[in-house]
Amino acid sequence: MKKFSILSLALLMVFSLFSVSVMAQDEVNLTLWDIRTASDQVTPALQDAIERFEADNPNVNIEHVPTQNDNYKTKLRTAMSADNAPDLFMTWGSASLERYVDADKVYSLESHMTEDWESNFMPAAMDLGRVNGELYGVPVTNVSPALVWYRTDLFEEYGLEVPETYEELKNVVKTFKENGITPFALANKNKWTGSMYFMYLVDRIGGPEALQQAISRKGAFNDKPFIEAGRRIQELVEMGAFPDGVNGLDEDAGQSRTLLYTDRAAMYLMGSWAYSSFKNEAPDMLDQFSFFNFPAVESGKGDPSNLVGTPGDNYYSVSTKAANKEAAVEFLKYLTDSKMGEELINIGNIPPFTGVAEKIDDPIMKKIYNSSQEANHIQLWYDQTLPLELAQVHLNTTQALFGMEITPEEAANQMEEAAQEYYGE
Amino acid sequence: MNKKELMNNKYFIAALFLLPAVIFSLIYLIIPIPLSTYYSFFKWDGIGAMEFLGLENWSKLLSDPIFWSSMANNFKLVLISLVVQIPIALFLAVLLTRKIKGANFFKTIFFVPMLLSSIAVAFLWRYMYDPTFGLINGFLNLVGLEQLTRSWLGDSSIAFYSASAPIQWRFIPLYMIIFMAAISNIPKQLYEAAEIDGANNWQSFFYVTLPMLRSTVVNASVLIIVGSLKYFAMIFALTGGGPNHASELMATYLYTKSFTEMNMGYGSTISVALFLVALIVSVVFLNFSKKDVRN
Amino acid sequence: MINKLKQLVIYIFLSVWLLITGYPLVFLVQNSFKIRMEFFRNPVWSLPEKFTWQNYIEVMKSGFYMYFINSIIVCFISVAIIIIVSALASYAISRIDFKFNKIVYILFLAGMMIPIHSTLIPIYKITLSMGLYDKLSALIGPYVAFSLPISVFILTGFINDIPYELEEAAIIDGASRFRIFRDIILPLVKPAIATVAIYNLTLLWNQFAYALVLTSSPSKRILTLGLFEFQGQHGINIPLTLTALFLSVLPLILLYVFLQEHIIKGMTAGALKG
Repeated sequence: MKKFSILSLALLMVFSLFSVSVMAQDEVNLTLWDIRTASDQVTPALQDAIERFEADNPNVNIEHVPTQNDNYKTKLRTAMSADNAPDLFMTWGSASLERYVDADKVYSLESHMTEDWESNFMPAAMDLGRVNGELYGVPVTNVSPALVWYRTDLFEEYGLEVPETYEELKNVVKTFKENGITPFALANKNKWTGSMYFMYLVDRIGGPEALQQAISRKGAFNDKPFIEAGRRIQELVEMGAFPDGVNGLDEDAGQSRTLLYTDRAAMYLMGSWAYSSFKNEAPDMLDQFSFFNFPAVESGKGDPSNLVGTPGDNYYSVSTKAANKEAAVEFLKYLTDSKMGEELINIGNIPPFTGVAEKIDDPIMKKIYNSSQEANHIQLWYDQTLPLELAQVHLNTTQALFGMEITPEEAANQMEEAAQEYYGE
Repeated sequence: MNKKELMNNKYFIAALFLLPAVIFSLIYLIIPIPLSTYYSFFKWDGIGAMEFLGLENWSKLLSDPIFWSSMANNFKLVLISLVVQIPIALFLAVLLTRKIKGANFFKTIFFVPMLLSSIAVAFLWRYMYDPTFGLINGFLNLVGLEQLTRSWLGDSSIAFYSASAPIQWRFIPLYMIIFMAAISNIPKQLYEAAEIDGANNWQSFFYVTLPMLRSTVVNASVLIIVGSLKYFAMIFALTGGGPNHASELMATYLYTKSFTEMNMGYGSTISVALFLVALIVSVVFLNFSKKDVRN
Repeated sequence: MINKLKQLVIYIFLSVWLLITGYPLVFLVQNSFKIRMEFFRNPVWSLPEKFTWQNYIEVMKSGFYMYFINSIIVCFISVAIIIIVSALASYAISRIDFKFNKIVYILFLAGMMIPIHSTLIPIYKITLSMGLYDKLSALIGPYVAFSLPISVFILTGFINDIPYELEEAAIIDGASRFRIFRDIILPLVKPAIATVAIYNLTLLWNQFAYALVLTSSPSKRILTLGLFEFQGQHGINIPLTLTALFLSVLPLILLYVFLQEHIIKGMTAGALKG
């Protein structure tokens, strides 16, 4: 009897050892959730990365599930809520990633960060993937600052130079307005579009410290820079710098760009992805577009080379629920290697990787790259930086500023009240 | 009880008939509302820990101006929808149940708005309302009525009404079909009798058609009332509830709070409140109209 | 003479309404022939510079056919179940005089008031635990449950209006409830059933909240979700999207044309009872 049981025990152990090693060769299935639908720019580059990864790792299969932008957020949150997260997922870094980290949904990449891999990325981009000093997401898609795109031919026609200060900008606005052209093409139903003006003004007037202090509660959201920014926005609104019914125009339906393409507007403050919009929508006018940095405010503290935008755009992470984290992290390496960088450049993006400068040919893209490098600070969009509750208040109050429905003081006070409530003061 | 008695027992039979419906409802309908009520007592972002708040969300709701103005918008929508949809649907139904050529053709095209998804409709109307390129302002300019041109979706004072128009357009055909079905059920003898008595078309309508349609109209009204109180799609697609909450509805507000701001607790509070409001209004309306139907 | 005038006026009204209702379809079709580059350069109302089938081809290639089949399967099965389940329930509420009758009716009415978004997360969790996640069948439960209250409401109202005498004879003869239900009531409520079918079919066809969270892989995608394929992070190919929208409504229109015949027959059959 004893002999038999020892034998069977031994057999069992051998058998299980055998099956473990067999399992290591078994199929690994990784689900990847992001926003790379058929129409998204980056999709070809992503699919190329998937193919390369699967070719080198034949036992791993990546199941890519793309969902359109806004729907994606709902879908991901619901899945996270029911503890059914995908193995790999995408966020926009900073607050959007932090939320999931705080709920223990994200796997820390710290242990996988070799010096080699880390040196691959632009430092500014890496920062947004870190929560409490630990890395939870890698930047992948685009260094994308908001720039003032403008119609070079219209500027020439009315004898205008690129404005370097706010006063010069007001002059540009006046000239266009007098000639029946809407100075800025802006569609603000979506709220984030108008908030770029606000963010830049705050940065130019109070420097990046203004926001940082407000968030760290050493300052407040109704400090002078915020009120002053609101005042200047309303000043521009009253000068007619923005289209009629600006708060009812939809950016996603292209109601801003259509003004730009039909000579009814001259400038367009938008992220660098605008360049690909132009390529897709009005390729025959492409060489009539260039950009300048948002003007400085002369009395302001801000550095005019600073940018508002995102140094990484999309960040990819591994969830704590992933069964095979090694494979998942391995895939992230393919998503951020030099081949991916090349693919991204072909698409018209500037990857958040080091050593890409030489590979960029397009003059406009070179200019974007240089602006990004020269910036001492890239301020991430407030609606990604601030906690969600505050982000909404910011978006709503800024929209109200454009609609002249609220005074700059009221807008700033509402933000401060919401902040006090959120931070529990 | 033996088998025969069981089969004849009305409770048993009723239970059998109701069973499938109850099963579906139990799983998918009955659980969410108590669950939402439960969530409403917490601060919860949907993915992390839940923090007990007691009645805090509820007191916040009661003093939340956006909630009340969105409820006001819902009631405005109820009124607009009742006043616009029922008469027009009735009118069209009456027209189409007469013997006119091409009735079938009209019926088919008229129903198209119901078939299109809100997304499609929102696209179209967004461009219609465009202040610079839109058809509406374009038309007004053409006929010399420039002073009437507006920023239809951008002007806070009219954004809500502009966003409500497509909703009417979309649902009228539905009630038109419902009324048409009801009208064709009216026994012809009644019309013949009225004709013998010397009634003309208008009188036929008022003294035969309308009374016979009473319960259908009441039913349609309930559908409109409940639908309007719960409404989400078109307004969200056209204005997102803006500008600055001008066109906010309870359902868009609850969506923004729950999914955009990830404030599930407060969002649940709004959804329970919405449920209660709709329930109270419908019960009141039904009681009120039942008294008439009994006649 | 007056009659002719009346006819004319009627036709004018109908034509105006035709324009108001029909134009969106024209808008969709017209722009489905434009290419992306053209859409913003010319007014959106203008005819395409060149009629191109490009968008149609691209939509078809995108898996549209699969999404379409998925939508059909889910919607038709759901509507079939809805009709059966709600007819049974409505009969019980309307005709069987049991104690909780009124309460059950009010409970169903209450079901109409539930806003869809507040059920998303609970239903998601339930679906997960039932092992139905990312299966098309996961959609049927919520679809049916959500349509039940209104369907019960419509059918109950209709059955209430049927004179009781029609059943009395059968009851005296000892027919079972079920036979009465199947042989007497069902034929009489055809118009209501048609209403319930159309109403629910159109609402469910355009529904996407549940599909968004309960399904994941492209093979389980339904039409309304597929439409968003043409929207990227920073831009949307509008003519392509409009093409997809048109193609997704076309079958519904054709179906409606076909069903209409039956609806009319159903409607007038009811009138005979008078």
